[in-house]
Amino acid sequence: MSKQDHILTVEVLDQDGSTFTLREICERGECHAEFVIKLVDYGIIAPVEESPEARHWEFDVGALSRLRKAQRLQRDLKMNLPGLAMSLELLDEVEEMRREVGRLNHRIRQLMGE
Amino acid sequence: MDFKDYYAVLGVSESASPEEIKKAYRKLARKYHPDVSKEEDADTKFKDVGEAYEVLKDPEKRAEYDQLRKYGARADGSFEPPPGWQSASGFGGGGYTEADARQFSDFFEEIFGGGRRGGFSGGFGGGGFRQNMRMRGEDVHARIALFLEEAFHGCEKQVSFAVHEADEHGRVIPRQKTLKVKIPAGMREGQNIRLKGQGSPGIGGGEPGDLFIEVEFAPHPHFAVEGRDVMVTVPIAPWEAALGATVTVPTVGSKVNVKVPRGSTSGRKLRLKGKGFPGKHPGDQIVILQIAMPEKHSAEAEKLYEQLAEAEKNFNPRSKLHV
Repeated sequence: MSKQDHILTVEVLDQDGSTFTLREICERGECHAEFVIKLVDYGIIAPVEESPEARHWEFDVGALSRLRKAQRLQRDLKMNLPGLAMSLELLDEVEEMRREVGRLNHRIRQLMGE
Repeated sequence: MDFKDYYAVLGVSESASPEEIKKAYRKLARKYHPDVSKEEDADTKFKDVGEAYEVLKDPEKRAEYDQLRKYGARADGSFEPPPGWQSASGFGGGGYTEADARQFSDFFEEIFGGGRRGGFSGGFGGGGFRQNMRMRGEDVHARIALFLEEAFHGCEKQVSFAVHEADEHGRVIPRQKTLKVKIPAGMREGQNIRLKGQGSPGIGGGEPGDLFIEVEFAPHPHFAVEGRDVMVTVPIAPWEAALGATVTVPTVGSKVNVKVPRGSTSGRKLRLKGKGFPGKHPGDQIVILQIAMPEKHSAEAEKLYEQLAEAEKNFNPRSKLHV
């Protein structure tokens, strides 16, 4: 049952794009609001705009994919929240460094005339 | 069917204690976790490690596996379970497990059976979905690699991904889905697009999940991207740097003439406003000048260089090295 003949138009999500409420992110992440609130408390995900009241929070799609990542790591590696927060921060740093190394290698290859 | 050596997968000996097995599993699970590892086959390795641990952590399954390992493995690496083999420990039926049986191999299925028969064993403890359950379908997160030109100009792309859907018995089975997607111009690395309703189908009349696709870029031989800006290194001749010149510079999909200022040095950056990634706030193209020397000089050029050396004899290119 392939639908590959239809060309689908997409919705681009970016910072000024659509967001999810706390309820929506819980539905999509199949988790309780308490879990999301804890992730926010530990700085693992952040609402687009800070608000002391969780019911006013809005999350972008980046927060949703980070929530799913946090769930997978917690489930598969049995991590607690402080460990999760630190691992995700380090993984972000590693990712940024990999990109930087990629960019620098690219520059070096160009400078060497390769 | 190939025999799977679970001891080798975990890198432990046959006589390894449960503690050693747990330790080896934890280490390898961290190493190959698909959210952590960048190795190409991390996903497969992670599944293999999980499957090996699922068997070896359970004394009953381990004993059965050891027996089969002794009698079932053939010299050529292939494997057939003995006729009439039936596992006593099984998979789906026996209590709560966090492992996702949908991920396990045919080998596991053959020995411990019930893996796929167990339905949604992770979240629902075996058994199919009840018919009256209404649930929104899973969102699916996928990635797509684009060439810079494709992202810049927009393109049509085919994406394949797995959705999970319930069959007529309520068992959750994976299905490969392929869609043709129109990617709009100006997508940047890390940006997401959403296709509403293209994720896993809902259950019991629940609405389908969405498909989220994160864009990543394939490396380009000439251009690098930083945010909305496109960087390119452009070689120029020493005389173009010294005297100034108008040079042709490539942009993504086109080219422009750029004025190199007189007295430019290697590494100087020139900003071409609005020539970066298109969008509401288009980026710039940054041209990085690089002075290139001809590989050989004519006798006439060498003479001119001698004259240049004389005229510029006060210039010390190594002054920063204090020599």
